[in-house]
Amino acid sequence: MAGQDEKGKEKAPAAPEQPRKLDRREVLMGLSTVPALGLFGYTWQKQRQYQQAKLQAASPTPAAAAGLREINVALLGAGAQGQVLTDAMLRIPGLRFRAVCDVWTEYNQKRVVNILKRFKHEVNGYEDYREMLDKEKELDAVVVATPDFWHAQHATDCLKAGKHVYCEKEMSNTLEGARSMVAAARETGKLLQIGHQRRSNPRYLHAYEKLLGEAKLLGRIVTVNGQWNRGVAPDLGAPDRYAVPEERLEKYGFKNMHQFRNWRWYKGLGGGPIVDLGSHQIDIYSWFLGANPSGVMASGGLLYHDPKTHEWYDTVMAVYDYETAQGPVKAYYQTQTTNGSQGYFENFMGDQGTLVISESELNYAGQLYRDPNAPAWDTWIQKGYITAPKLQEVQAKEDTGAVADVRESVAPDEHKVPVALRDPYHQPHLQNFFDTVRGKAKLNCPPEIAYESAVAVLKVNEAIEAKSRLSFKAGEFEV
Amino acid sequence: MEDGKLSRLPMIAITVLRIFVGWHFLYEGIAKLTSSSWSAAGYLKQARGPFAELFKWLAGQPNLLANADLITMWGLTVVGVLLILGLFTRLASIGAMGFLLMFYFATPPFVGYFYSIPSEGSYLLVNKNLVELSALVVILVTGSGRFAGLDRILHALFARRPRLIAAAGSPTR
Repeated sequence: MAGQDEKGKEKAPAAPEQPRKLDRREVLMGLSTVPALGLFGYTWQKQRQYQQAKLQAASPTPAAAAGLREINVALLGAGAQGQVLTDAMLRIPGLRFRAVCDVWTEYNQKRVVNILKRFKHEVNGYEDYREMLDKEKELDAVVVATPDFWHAQHATDCLKAGKHVYCEKEMSNTLEGARSMVAAARETGKLLQIGHQRRSNPRYLHAYEKLLGEAKLLGRIVTVNGQWNRGVAPDLGAPDRYAVPEERLEKYGFKNMHQFRNWRWYKGLGGGPIVDLGSHQIDIYSWFLGANPSGVMASGGLLYHDPKTHEWYDTVMAVYDYETAQGPVKAYYQTQTTNGSQGYFENFMGDQGTLVISESELNYAGQLYRDPNAPAWDTWIQKGYITAPKLQEVQAKEDTGAVADVRESVAPDEHKVPVALRDPYHQPHLQNFFDTVRGKAKLNCPPEIAYESAVAVLKVNEAIEAKSRLSFKAGEFEV
Repeated sequence: MEDGKLSRLPMIAITVLRIFVGWHFLYEGIAKLTSSSWSAAGYLKQARGPFAELFKWLAGQPNLLANADLITMWGLTVVGVLLILGLFTRLASIGAMGFLLMFYFATPPFVGYFYSIPSEGSYLLVNKNLVELSALVVILVTGSGRFAGLDRILHALFARRPRLIAAAGSPTR
């Protein structure tokens, strides 16, 4: 203020005929709204404190307090999936992040390092995973979320360096790669969990153990269908100022930034939507049916997307044959990336009932339909395995004004699976991995299981190319 | 406006209005700045109305989008601070109105448009963006910063200096 006063005096001679009027009143009125800014700062600070408290409350108890041995973890691959896994891991007690490795040092690596630091994990960032393995001697486990074509090398090198590994699916984009991972896990005796996270999801476990295993609600399963429909999404981009230099892209197997960001669409790097999306669900087909498929026919193509930037099929429809202990099963699966309506689910249909299940908590989160001829399900409702049936009402349809005919309204009873997951979708599977590291559990998706799934899924792309039904040979699912 | 000066009470009311509008802008900006992953992309993709194509196109241009995000975050913050302080009030009002116009036209409540995103009320043509925009018009035309705000100090220091001298330039320039 004093400065302004001086300034006022200084300027005064410039306009002698207009005396400056910067009196006390002007200054007071001029500054009268500054306290509002102060109040804003104060309240905002307060609100941030609450947010911080919420963050801290959500972050897990330190290992010592929970009576756990702290597990030292590194994240290898800090992209979208790496972020999802990090968010889930931040809620698991007894983990200590030590390092983050990502070749996109300009962006993804920096982002995840900063997030982890906010949660008080002092992590080092690396571009080269070998350097990380050399320097971070105290690491117990590495979580691999790099593009598919790097999985085999990253996972085997980490296992051979004596680390337990959680590796995202698809296990590998080649079966040789997948086999090398199984071999490395066996050789080193270290744990390798593959990220088919539905295998640890409480709803899927409930369906597998209780509904299908114990109650056998579906009777004899004859057909299965499932899908993952996804709407058109623009290619992923990156601001030029964060672009990865060309030499580095080349060093890590990418031709350009577009390929680096959209590797899932490129042959030799990813496997396309059938592998990205389908592998989760086809894994469930085999798990619930208790068998591996005997053959597959498939049709697919690049029907919509630009072939210059999309090499894999954007649309795939496949039919698997299964020979289960109960008899033959046909299982249909489709994935398309041009219309996202009706989302994703798996639908198991037996002669006594139907089970629709999905990882999604919003849609298809576990419905059962009892065939009118099937034995009553009262016992299972009493046990709490399923909910009581929804009451059926014959009523005018609200939107159309149509009246349902009483004769056609004898629909199967609809029940719900009363199991929900209130944590991030990947948390139980990661928890299962870290529990196993502590010797308190058994892996829900060891490499042998994931290998079977990889064999079944990668065959679809082959069948599309071959334009004919392909059979799985005896022993093809074994390593 | 100089002639038709408002009396003291309305000016106080308008100053309060200015502080609240500024507060709102400042918090919208700060909240975005401190969020780890805020981007306008999702909002832009929902765009309707005459400029929908432009907004959607912008969402698909990573370079432009990154700039648009920065401009939005910092723009809202700076405009908010300026309005609260009553500094460069007219310029800040015009900037704030620009933002509101963009927000209004991104998802306009026109007759015949149906949105699935929940909004905080039911609107027919006029929504809260437009109400806030008209509040800014009042702030703009009444020069509220010159009543209570740093503009008053600036005004006292620099106003009514003979234009001839200003045009000739002071020796320090």
